Amino acid sequence: MNAPLPPDRVLFELDLAAPAFRCGELEGRWRHLATQWPYAMFAVAAPPLPGAPEQFEIRFNCSGYRATPASAQPWDHAANRPLPGARWPTGPKIVSSVFRPDWKNGQCLYLPCDRMSIEGHPNWRNEHPSRLWQPDRGIICYLEQLHGLFFDSDYSGVRSA
Amino acid sequence: MTQNIIFIQVHERPGVIEAQVIEAATLGDVRKAIEAAGVVLEAEMHIFLDEAEEPLHGDNGHVVHGLRHGSRVHVSRCKRIKTTVHYLERTAEHEFAPGARVRAVKAWAAHTFKVSPKDAAEYVLQICKSTERPAADTPLHELVHGHPCTLCFDFVPEKRVEG
Repeated sequence: MNAPLPPDRVLFELDLAAPAFRCGELEGRWRHLATQWPYAMFAVAAPPLPGAPEQFEIRFNCSGYRATPASAQPWDHAANRPLPGARWPTGPKIVSSVFRPDWKNGQCLYLPCDRMSIEGHPNWRNEHPSRLWQPDRGIICYLEQLHGLFFDSDYSGVRSA
Repeated sequence: MTQNIIFIQVHERPGVIEAQVIEAATLGDVRKAIEAAGVVLEAEMHIFLDEAEEPLHGDNGHVVHGLRHGSRVHVSRCKRIKTTVHYLERTAEHEFAPGARVRAVKAWAAHTFKVSPKDAAEYVLQICKSTERPAADTPLHELVHGHPCTLCFDFVPEKRVEG
């Protein structure tokens, strides 16, 4: 008999089945790749640029979902290891300020919605209210921000290009 | 028979409703899918497909061209959304279709206010008198509250996350 899923996993699975998430999948904005709880791997679409992939794979730590924010790390899904810093997305200003391989050894993204990054930054709650984790929206609020960053004009490809 | 999934968004109703219609669906099929989702189609409601400029029209046997797997169907009381954008001391207005995305408004604002793509990357649209900065893929009619078919944004600098 299968053990019952933990409550955080149940909420996560509900969100994967929700129309708002599926709408993003069918529009090609993001795709769920795999789950090895508490980790979930997603691909987030990026516009085609020379030397850059058309999607970035991100591993989220979703323990405590949805009350606790997720934490995201660029990931090489095929190799099942962190994405080398040279292959992280970048841009002159905004994207490079979020994707910082130097921040916490590349284990998270420098965004207010990230569990690891919000720690020690109480000022972000006032300075970046629209970038905070939204427990009622869960993983979608994080995926939306990443997709928005890739499709804004600041995104210029990968660091090594 | 092949089915297409569609996502229905209704004026002043939060969230998205997933529904199915047959391939080469007619306007009648789309109406049935909307009503089966519990939405009462009132006379003043318009049905828009994705980011189309004009609402669907014709009789129920009319095949809906452009409907694809994953299309968004917008049920809106607005035929157009009068959108005002403030940038520094300037203001501009434009009417968008209900299914137009926030990204389209930003592109229009950058063009209208002559903000280069490089500089526009550091600007975002923020709903007036709020701190809400909707995602670029948000359809405009999702943001309209109340009957007036209007929206107001401030085109403001995106503060880098620092500190």
